[in-house]
Amino acid sequence: MTGPVASESKVHDLLSVVLGGLAAGVLISSPWQVDTSGPYPFYKGALIFPLLVLSLMVLASLPAVCRLLSPPAGASWRLDGAGAPSRPLMILGCLVAYLIGLRLVGLEISALLFLAGSLYLLGHRSVLTLVGVPLIVTGVVAVIFKYLLQVYFPAPLLFDWLWG
Amino acid sequence: MFEHLGAAVEATFTLANLVALVFGTLVGIVVGILPGIGPMVGMVVLLPFTFSLHPDVALSLLLGVFCGGYFGGGIPAVLMRTPGVPSSLITSFDGFPLTQQGRAQTGLSAVLMGSFSGGIISVFILIFLAPLLAHVAASFGPPEYFSAGLFGVTLVVMAYRHRLGQGLLLLGLGLWISTVGIDGPTLVPRYCFGTLAMQNGLHIVPVCLGLFGIGQSLLLLERRILQSETMSLTRRTLDFSQLKVTLKYWRTLIRSGVIGTFVGLLPGTGSILASFMSYEAAKRASKRPQDFGRGTPEGCLAAEAGNNAVPAGAMIPLLTLGIPGEALSAVLLGVFTINGIYPGPLLLIKEPVLINTLYLSMLLINLAAFAMLALWLRPFAMIVRVSNTALAAVIMVVSLVGIYAVNTRLFDAGLAVAMGVLGYVLLRLEWPIVNLVMGVVLGEILEQRLRESLSIAEGNPIIFLTRPISLSLIVATALIVVVPLWLDRRRARLTARESAEV
Repeated sequence: MTGPVASESKVHDLLSVVLGGLAAGVLISSPWQVDTSGPYPFYKGALIFPLLVLSLMVLASLPAVCRLLSPPAGASWRLDGAGAPSRPLMILGCLVAYLIGLRLVGLEISALLFLAGSLYLLGHRSVLTLVGVPLIVTGVVAVIFKYLLQVYFPAPLLFDWLWG
Repeated sequence: MFEHLGAAVEATFTLANLVALVFGTLVGIVVGILPGIGPMVGMVVLLPFTFSLHPDVALSLLLGVFCGGYFGGGIPAVLMRTPGVPSSLITSFDGFPLTQQGRAQTGLSAVLMGSFSGGIISVFILIFLAPLLAHVAASFGPPEYFSAGLFGVTLVVMAYRHRLGQGLLLLGLGLWISTVGIDGPTLVPRYCFGTLAMQNGLHIVPVCLGLFGIGQSLLLLERRILQSETMSLTRRTLDFSQLKVTLKYWRTLIRSGVIGTFVGLLPGTGSILASFMSYEAAKRASKRPQDFGRGTPEGCLAAEAGNNAVPAGAMIPLLTLGIPGEALSAVLLGVFTINGIYPGPLLLIKEPVLINTLYLSMLLINLAAFAMLALWLRPFAMIVRVSNTALAAVIMVVSLVGIYAVNTRLFDAGLAVAMGVLGYVLLRLEWPIVNLVMGVVLGEILEQRLRESLSIAEGNPIIFLTRPISLSLIVATALIVVVPLWLDRRRARLTARESAEV
């Protein structure tokens, strides 16, 4: 996130078009997504507000569509010069694995693995950080959520498969 | 107004409430001191914990983070010229020169005194102004509420008018997200795409936690934030003798507190503007304006009193009209609605104990934040040395477990990850993410009021123009759209003409 955002970057317009396109898709499919066969007139019904909102989104994206089709002078795909988001992507992958791990191996193991793995990927090499931080954080999280708040966590699937 | 004060004092001084407000303030100060984190992340991470709490305790916890964050943000601004929260940037104009002159204690005393005074003044304005506004709003029907809501969201959209199209898109997306799930009045499922999980709707907690908790953490991983190893404080506590120096500027304190409260009252204006306006007003009124920017405690006082008055200012439209001015108060509105409490003029009549407890808690939060920072100044200042990347990983773990804990649904955790990706993209592109949150929080209220209004008029939208208050609000909405755009266009034309002449 260094340097100012280039307002003429086409990335902004591309995202606007994607959001506008999605809104248009949802708008068109609305009669199938919302059941309007009930006794309510349109103005009292479930569809009036979403239709207004989705139409607003489509309208708001139209200038971006025009700009993307005929870009103004100086427009480019360059965004902020901060490069590809490799670190966030790496950690996002770990986060998805952590989410799957919650169901597969349970809270404690998945949190420990996520923290140790992501800290390593983020450049931490001290054993104290790589072992100490995951152990302390996992311990605190497990105590608060499992034992103090008594939140139900499903039995880890892997343990079910292995030991029945 | 004060007949329920006894019950409110009792509720405020319960152990649970005191623990919540002290803990919330502590978290707020920590996230405020850490550059790049901020009170929003602190609030959304604590949000799942509030479900098992009584509403007043939950609000004390989150208000502690809200106010404590502004207190903490001034510390790194003075010591390292790195604002913990964006609005503390103005504080650094004079705070850091004071540190360079070896007068860090004077700068920090000014920050603490400014924050404390701004907070206290604004709470008193809130106490007296909220009932007046609620009295006006008591005559509101559904059309007036809808028009007021429309006015609020339009103000927020227009505050980011340099990104008008994007702001509208995000507002629309937020409003649409609020419609997903079973529709209350008709019991019809909407936009569930054939899935059972979506019938419960896209809950505000995973949406906000994903956008801010996870999104901000992902952004933090690639941000280079200045971290100073040379920062040092000779004393563990604040040098209390320096507080006397700051009291000389009592006029600045009061003026800045009032400016901050009224700026906070307006949706979409934000604390940076409050800080900047207070600073500029102090500079204009000062006998030595040339000292501003070179290291005067008056500059730090004005900026901090201005930005710390914003939370209480933002509570005025939230409590009386149910309109949050920015993302932080939108999260507070979420806590109200989750607990079945709908802010509006009747709230002050229906829940007087809760409201008075809220006022007292806000006063105590300011006192707690001041005391904590004054007594543990050096330990708090050392927090800036914590690794941002390690912190980001910890925030993500706590956020995901917290989201799951709310409804024990892994779907919510998955939704938060998806929202985290969207939040990261929007934060990196610097789109006005507050519009999305406003949409999610206000969507249900706006839709309900729109449908009620149309039902009254049997489908005729002219009802919004036939009632005086609603008409005034619609005209005001039109004006806040047209006037700034016209002024911007005129300014651009003048600039183009001047540059052509050169």
